[in-house]
Amino acid sequence: MIGYVSTIVLLLLLAPILLSFIKAVKMWLLYKRPVSLLQGFRDFGKLLRKETVVSEEASAMTRIAPFLVLSPLLVALFYLPPIAKGAYYVSFVDAFTLTGLLALSTFFLMLLGLDSASSFGGMGSSREAFISALVEPAMILTIFSVSMMAGDLGIGQAGVNLAEHFPREHTASFLFAAISFFILLIAENGRIPVDNPETHLELTMVHEAMILDITGVYLALIETAASVKFVIFASLFASLFLPFGMEEAWLPAAMIFVGKLFAVALAVALIEVNTAKLRLFKVPNLLGIAIVFAFLSLITYYVLGA
Amino acid sequence: MVDFLIGLFLATLITALFTSRLYRLLFWYSLNSLTLGLLALVIGARLDDRAMLMTGGVTIALKALAIPYVLKVLSRRFGLSRQTPPGIKTQYAIMLVPAILVFTFYLAEPISHMVQGNANYVAISISSLFLSLLLMIEHRNVAPKIVGFLSMENALFLLGTTATRGMPMLVELGIFFDLLMAIVVINLLLYREEAEL
Repeated sequence: MIGYVSTIVLLLLLAPILLSFIKAVKMWLLYKRPVSLLQGFRDFGKLLRKETVVSEEASAMTRIAPFLVLSPLLVALFYLPPIAKGAYYVSFVDAFTLTGLLALSTFFLMLLGLDSASSFGGMGSSREAFISALVEPAMILTIFSVSMMAGDLGIGQAGVNLAEHFPREHTASFLFAAISFFILLIAENGRIPVDNPETHLELTMVHEAMILDITGVYLALIETAASVKFVIFASLFASLFLPFGMEEAWLPAAMIFVGKLFAVALAVALIEVNTAKLRLFKVPNLLGIAIVFAFLSLITYYVLGA
Repeated sequence: MVDFLIGLFLATLITALFTSRLYRLLFWYSLNSLTLGLLALVIGARLDDRAMLMTGGVTIALKALAIPYVLKVLSRRFGLSRQTPPGIKTQYAIMLVPAILVFTFYLAEPISHMVQGNANYVAISISSLFLSLLLMIEHRNVAPKIVGFLSMENALFLLGTTATRGMPMLVELGIFFDLLMAIVVINLLLYREEAEL
């Protein structure tokens, strides 16, 4: 139980660090002076001290929604697979619940964007709806094939099963599912080929457009939600697709796990530096590739058993 | 390990299908050949077959490094267009690719009973054969068609290494010389295209 709680605390603490790490790697590769890894915490503290301004047009939704964006993600943190063997985990929650929680958070984020009736917010919300609707089928297919390989629909149980007996004979379909899930990770977190998290001026922005007129504490909550979402996806990737290093004691296992999270963040940062942002109407093509790989993973598993 | 490499082989080929830039296409082709060479090395090491180890090494040197480089140099010399949008829209390709995969996986089923060893490899190499054919069909420019032809050769090589217990060395060398001939022919073809422009 101590391991369970401390894992969640660890993930919460790591969340801003991982996003700062991505930013730092990008700046380092672009010959800039990298930001500190603690920049996320500094920003959080700064936003808490700032005045909170709410638009006159806004309804009560603007005051409620930031909490409702963050809370499903915090709940989802409790359902993640364990990071060490023998640690406590929730076994009855299946992958669809997790997807639903993430979708609930996105739903309130979209409402928040629509609420203040600024044209930017509505645009961002419609784009977010467009992208997340396309993410869903690929997500379901990927999860299906992973849980078939793991032999359990429960996400925690699947992580444990994969770590205990890795499906060696299904490596090919496992690889396809991993590729698909990585594309989804990028799309859901609004990283570069899909959305640029750094600009406020681009007409193609998605996430930033929705939160353009949010300030102070509410902005701090939304930023935290974004980083928690990234850490959820990264840790799902780490425990479902890189299932090793769980046999150790809690501390070494946690170290290995953190290393895996940073590896995922590094991969995302390298992709961000190397690719240009896709035009919005080309995003379905990228997600289509994710669907192709997810489907390929399923049929390779079914037909070939490879 | 072999399963992983085969998965990577198919994945790089599928990604190449959706690429619309020539240099990226060459990069994916090079990665495709690299996985093929590694596969030959792994299988050769397992069977303790020196001929296959050699072919694996030659594959990596020739197909993963030399041919993409030569093609890049040639395309630069002839000023070929670096933008090669596929003729088939991505929306349709997304439906076409899984259809081809399902079709070929079931197509390979009767054959797989005849092959000793792992039957999956036959299915995957036949499906990559069809996917390379799609790569040739969907492009109008010469350069991607050439890459499609070369990856078709890769698919045949995969079939040769995995379905049989190693092809005779002579056959492999013959295929490589064939490939070099093909490069010469491609050179002539590019000259022609330049003359027509």
